[in-house]
This record gives sequence, structure tokens and C-alpha cells, in this order.
Amino acid sequence: MKTQTYSLNMGPQHPSTHGVFRIVLELDGEVVVKATPVPGYLHRGIEKLAEARTYTQVIPYTDRMDYLASMLMNWGYVAAVEKLMGIEEEIPERAQYIRVITGELSRIASHMIATGDYAGNIGGLTGFTYTFRDRERIMDMFEMVCGSRMTVSYFRIGGVAADLPDEFFPACRQFISDLPSMCDEYDGLITGNEIFQARTKHVGIITPEDGINYGITGPSLRGSGIAYDLRKVRPYSVYDRFDFEVPLGERGDCFDRFSCRIKEMRQSARIIGQALDNLPDGPILAKVPKVIKPPAGDAYAEIESSKGVLGCYVVSDGSPKPYRVHFRRPSFINLGMLGKMCEGWKIADVIAILGSIDIVLGEVDC
Amino acid sequence: MFGQGLIKGLQVTWHEMFKKKVTVQYPEEHAPLAARYHGRFQLDADKCIACGMCANACPNKVIQITKEKVGKKQYLTKYVMRIEYCLFCGLCVESCPKDAIAFSHIINMNQFYRDKVRLVLVDRPAPESLPEGEAAEPDAGGAAAGKAARVQQAARAQAAAGKAADKEGE
Ligand code: SF4
Ligand code: SF4
Repeated sequence: MKTQTYSLNMGPQHPSTHGVFRIVLELDGEVVVKATPVPGYLHRGIEKLAEARTYTQVIPYTDRMDYLASMLMNWGYVAAVEKLMGIEEEIPERAQYIRVITGELSRIASHMIATGDYAGNIGGLTGFTYTFRDRERIMDMFEMVCGSRMTVSYFRIGGVAADLPDEFFPACRQFISDLPSMCDEYDGLITGNEIFQARTKHVGIITPEDGINYGITGPSLRGSGIAYDLRKVRPYSVYDRFDFEVPLGERGDCFDRFSCRIKEMRQSARIIGQALDNLPDGPILAKVPKVIKPPAGDAYAEIESSKGVLGCYVVSDGSPKPYRVHFRRPSFINLGMLGKMCEGWKIADVIAILGSIDIVLGEVDC
Repeated sequence: MFGQGLIKGLQVTWHEMFKKKVTVQYPEEHAPLAARYHGRFQLDADKCIACGMCANACPNKVIQITKEKVGKKQYLTKYVMRIEYCLFCGLCVESCPKDAIAFSHIINMNQFYRDKVRLVLVDRPAPESLPEGEAAEPDAGGAAAGKAARVQQAARAQAAAGKAADKEGE
């Protein structure tokens, strides 16, 4: 019998796409022959908008890239501007530690969404409510620190906007002491579930070579067993002072990527604990001029965000506004391999694969 | 044994039955807001010196200030926020040298019509002359005057920088 393939749009409105994202699937029956990702539905032109703002005014826009880990997005941008101004060494210790604490909290919040959302994608919506319940505590802490829950705009060029309030410390200590039991709960509810394992193990494998060749970073790469974490391989800020491990997967399948994130949350809690113990006193903002005018030139800085390596490239022409800003967004680059990963799998697996690389469309489209 | 994981998962959900509720019944109950919460803006019009630093700090040109000269001082006559464009980033509050603009804990800013969204914090005519106490401030001394002058100077510098950059943008 003669058959022919047909194409099917998955998205742009689909709950598993974490935003608005379309994949054009060419199907042979239920099997994917070709998958073409079509991003761009959430493009707001943040890089262009930045050119008409002063250096400080760009910070609120970076929140809106990966809005699930906005502290880390702030960090990537301010790190680049600080490098451009040559004041990296002048950032006060206390500010560095506060950045680590809030950044790691952001990472946990983002991984919690990835975990719960993935459970929901696979068909167990209960997991979703558990991780969101716990993430709420981080949101409450952010509210104490900077008044906003998601779009924090907390980092400043040269430090952070405000010191941590007194009520933050007990809340944060309680949270990190509760976190291992939360992770145990996720493991009991989601990771150990046989149906979940059957859906995710040996599905959508990223081989170490492919991972490197496609420029994949973050937990998606570490799930394939490659220990590449900027916090370890090229420590920035004060990360060289903390004792933590980089969890790795073995097979590089969806399950490994998923479980890496849960393990990473536990490590982040360890970092926060150490940072809270050693938090030095002192100022929280370096001496920066009111009107920031970096010398003409360019700078590129990278940090490890929750999805992978976030890079920021800033070009200055000596005026108070950046000449050009470009962000290397990990979600966007991790998406590059999606087409190859989906080939040969069934439609339902496409959702499992897409969820496992944990993209957020605010960042993909920028 | 197959099914062990499922039973463990059921235990987790079963356990949850005996825990405290984490949600609140929203319109009747309210979750507590943090002290620094970014709610609706409030302006202390007596403190405001109409320097315009908040308007210059705003990335979205939300704040529109109208001022008039009364005697030697600038007098704020109108302070309007195009709140529909506001990012609630707090840069304006941070930049205010007099702590005149601040966030409050009011969260219900929703409106049915777009033209009602605009937040008018001050709308008043300028007086003929300032009342005695305000105009003179004799006991404030040189220090306060010095600070005010510095603030004004900083504001001018910032405004000039903003303008220069605007020109380049065009
Ligand atoms: S909060 Fe931010 S966007 Fe809103 S008025 Fe203030 S500076 Fe402008
Ligand atoms: S910065 Fe403060 S004092 Fe100056 S105009 Fe704005 S609210 Fe008034």
C-alpha cells in the first residue's frame, strides 16, 4: 500500500511548550520523520530596546527573558557591564554573596518549575502542584528582598539594589533545611514512578558528542555525563569558595536530564547554606558614578544560568546608552538539537523530549 | 516489583491530606505582603521638589511631571504616571533624593477602561506665593541648603546626559 507523510502543527498554543512555540512535525503515521522548531512568537526585541535605554534601565528588561530565573538573567547582564567598566574586582564581598544566595534561589525556583512541569507534561499533573507549592516560598523570599516576585530587577551595576532584610534569613534557613525533604517528595512522587520512568528512560538521547557539537549547556548537557558547569570549570564571582558537586547523568536521556535538576537543587541548597554562614558585612554597592558611561569598547561575560550558559555581549560607544547588547540565551541554543532528537519518536515522545530540555520562551525569543 | 514506585507516590499524596492548607481564599482572605512590596505608587507632594530625577530614571517614560516656578522654588503642579507602561522595577523610587515617591501595599489597580488606568498623583494649581514656613526654612541652616543644591545639580547632570543620549538615538 502506498502511504505518504503529513505535517502537523504542534503549538503555538500547547501547554508543554512553556510559552508560545510551534513545532512543525512531519509524520509517518504516528512516527516523526522530521521536526522543525518555529520560535519567534514571544519576540519583544529586548536587545533593540536596550539600545534606547541607559545601562541601568536595561536591567528590568533582562528580568523578562527567563522570567523563571530572573535573578540569573540580571546577573548575566550586570556582569558584562561590570567587565566593560573594569570594576569586576571592586564589587563588595557582601554583594557577591547576596548575588550567590539569590541566584541559587532563582536556580532552585526554575528547576522546581522544570520538574513539576515535566511531570505535568508526562501526564501526572499532581507533581506540578507540589513543586509550585514549594516554589511559592522562594517567591515570598524574593518579595521580601526586592518587592517583586518574578520580575525582580534586583541586581545593579556594581552590586545589588538593597540589603537583605532581617526577615529573609530565618525564612531562607528554614527553606534550605526543608529542601532535601521536598526533593525526597518529588523523587517519591515523580522520579520513582514506573509509568514516568517508562515514558522517559532511553527516550530522546543526547550523546556527549552531539551535546558538545550543538553547543548544548546546562543540565541538558550534564545529563549526558559531561561535567561542564561554569561555576566549577571557570568560577566567576565567589563560586570558587563553595563546596558543591556537579550532578551528572549517564545515558543522556530525558530521565537523566530530569533527575539532574532535582540533584542540582540539593547542591544549590548546600551553596546557599555556606553563603549564609559566611556572609560578610559591608557595603552592597561598589562606587559607581550616577550616570554610567563605560569607555568605548566591548565585553562578553558568561554565567551559569538554570538552563545553561547565559552570555551577554555589550558594546559601548562611550555614551550613557549601550550601542549594542546581545544575549546568548541557553534555551534558544539548546533548542537547536530538538529536530534531531525528535526524529523516529512518536508524537507523545515529542512532548517528553521538549519538556526535558526545559526551555522558556521568554528567553528563546528574547 | 513493578508498582512499588506508584505506591510510594500514593503515600506522598496521602500524607498531604493531613498537612496544613497553603492556599488562601483570595477575595475574602489576603496573603500577607512583604514590607518592600511593589504595589501602587504614592507621592508625598510636600516632600517632592519637582527635580524630575524619577522621570529620568524610568526606562519606559512612565512619569510625566509639570512644574511651575513660584518665587525662587519649583512647584510641582502635576504628577501623572502612565501606569499601563510601568514595569514596577522601582528605579524611580530608588532615584528619588527626597523619598517622595514610594510604593504602597495597594494591589487592586485594575480598571474597566483604559483611560481610567492613568495614575494622577498630583494635580493642583500653583499658588501665588509659597506659605511662610515652606518658603523661608530659616532654621534648616546651610547644610540642608547645600544638600538641596547638590541634588539639583545631580538632577541637571542626569537630565543633560539623558538628553544628549536622546539626540544620538535620533
Ligand atoms: S517602577 Fe520602573 S517603570 Fe514604573 S515608573 Fe518607576 S521607573 Fe518607571
Ligand atoms: S525624584 Fe522625587 S523629588 Fe524628584 S520629582 Fe521625582 S518624586 Fe519629586
